[in-house]
Amino acid sequence: MSDGDRIVIVGAGVAGLRAAERLRELGFDGELVIIGDEARKPYHRPSVSKQLVMGTARPSDMTLHAYTDLDARWRLGTRATHLDTAERVVHLPGVEQLWYDGLVIATGVVPRHLPGAMRHDPRVRVLRTVDDALAVRRALAASTRPAVVIGTGLIGCEFAASMRQLGRDVTLVGHARAPLYRFGPAIADSVSRLLAGHRAKLAMKSEIRHWISTKETFGLHLTNNQLVVASCVVLAIGSVPAVDWLRGSGLDISDGVLCEPTLFAEGADDVVVAGDTARWPNLRFDEVPRRVEHWLNAVESARAAAESLLAGRAAATPFTPLPRAWSSLYDVRLQMAGLPALAEDTVQLDRDVTGFVRAGELVGVCTWDRPHAMMRWTAELERRLPAPATTPAPAHAASTAGITRLATV
Amino acid sequence: MSRLRRKSRTRARLSVDNERCELFGICEWEAPALFELGRDGRLRYRRQPAAGELTQAAAAARCCPMQAIELRGGDDE
Repeated sequence: MSDGDRIVIVGAGVAGLRAAERLRELGFDGELVIIGDEARKPYHRPSVSKQLVMGTARPSDMTLHAYTDLDARWRLGTRATHLDTAERVVHLPGVEQLWYDGLVIATGVVPRHLPGAMRHDPRVRVLRTVDDALAVRRALAASTRPAVVIGTGLIGCEFAASMRQLGRDVTLVGHARAPLYRFGPAIADSVSRLLAGHRAKLAMKSEIRHWISTKETFGLHLTNNQLVVASCVVLAIGSVPAVDWLRGSGLDISDGVLCEPTLFAEGADDVVVAGDTARWPNLRFDEVPRRVEHWLNAVESARAAAESLLAGRAAATPFTPLPRAWSSLYDVRLQMAGLPALAEDTVQLDRDVTGFVRAGELVGVCTWDRPHAMMRWTAELERRLPAPATTPAPAHAASTAGITRLATV
Repeated sequence: MSRLRRKSRTRARLSVDNERCELFGICEWEAPALFELGRDGRLRYRRQPAAGELTQAAAAARCCPMQAIELRGGDDE
């Protein structure tokens, strides 16, 4: 990229913002255009299921700040409709076309749809955006009935905690054995006890048999034969990459956008991908492309994608983070590092510290309100899973590099 | 490039909003020279990072889970 060039960033979430910031930090002096489908500047999305749905913060309090002058042209409230990689053009509504020299894809994910859910009913919502949080607040204000959340992952648990902090009754419905079960039985047990202690109701190993909707009431008949009358139902059953607009672009969008280790979209010379959408092989672990749906990964991958784009495909270096994530439930800090999803087994490393093991090797750690232990174990994971040398070693030097790496593993 | 070469006019200042901070310790991981989550669970930090520590300071502010860190000055603002 050089003076007079134009970089287009599609996606105005945290990844879009941090990519823009890094491009300017690195001295990119050309035109920068940021396209976002929401009519808002980038904001702190983790607050949607907490402060914003509780009403303890205003949306404007959650605006994210850039640490350098972005000098960008913002096209908010605008949804990219198509990408033509051959012509290097992003299509916008109203047959508008925006050419680019470099493109950053950062469109993130959208909440997964639950088949059979009455999505047209204003009392049935998802929690992804500021507008979603405001809609849930309107539904709660219209009725004193309990709130129901379908899905017992991080968003579902955070929402349940938010409801109890508002003094609202809430029922969590999920087909897993326990909430957050993917973080191991010990953490799941702690979460269950915490939620129950704050009198959130749990309907685990169950799903919805019937939706019952009248003007006055809204109810759910569960497979455990429970009937829940609700003020609102929040669907929090995961998300899918927002890549519909990339159909026909030639990019592989089978699960997010398939990327090279450097976050360049597979086979493209001028397209990089950042955030939840990127499916790339993290060479610190193996060569399998995966997506990582965590906020800190959006920050770090955006910076790496910007670096790759400016370096060019041939000179770009692999993005090899040790992923980290966090959540808070009431006053408990839940933290993760590594890739727990890869594990075949869990071990108890210490009090409230779960280790995730693959083929005898530690690949992830999860802590329950132990921030100091998390720092120690993150450092330990970095030691055990070192990032490979950043530049691919030439053939004649490969043997030494390989040996050094094996010795430290 | 001009924005990068411009000389700093103001001394950078860090501050942490105690109402927001939930003490995850991510800032210490990003900027160990500036932040320390004490054994007593309290966060200690240096309010005036040196010029050479601004990269770390910005990384901590960017990565803070609660967006509780404010970094002012130290650039061309």
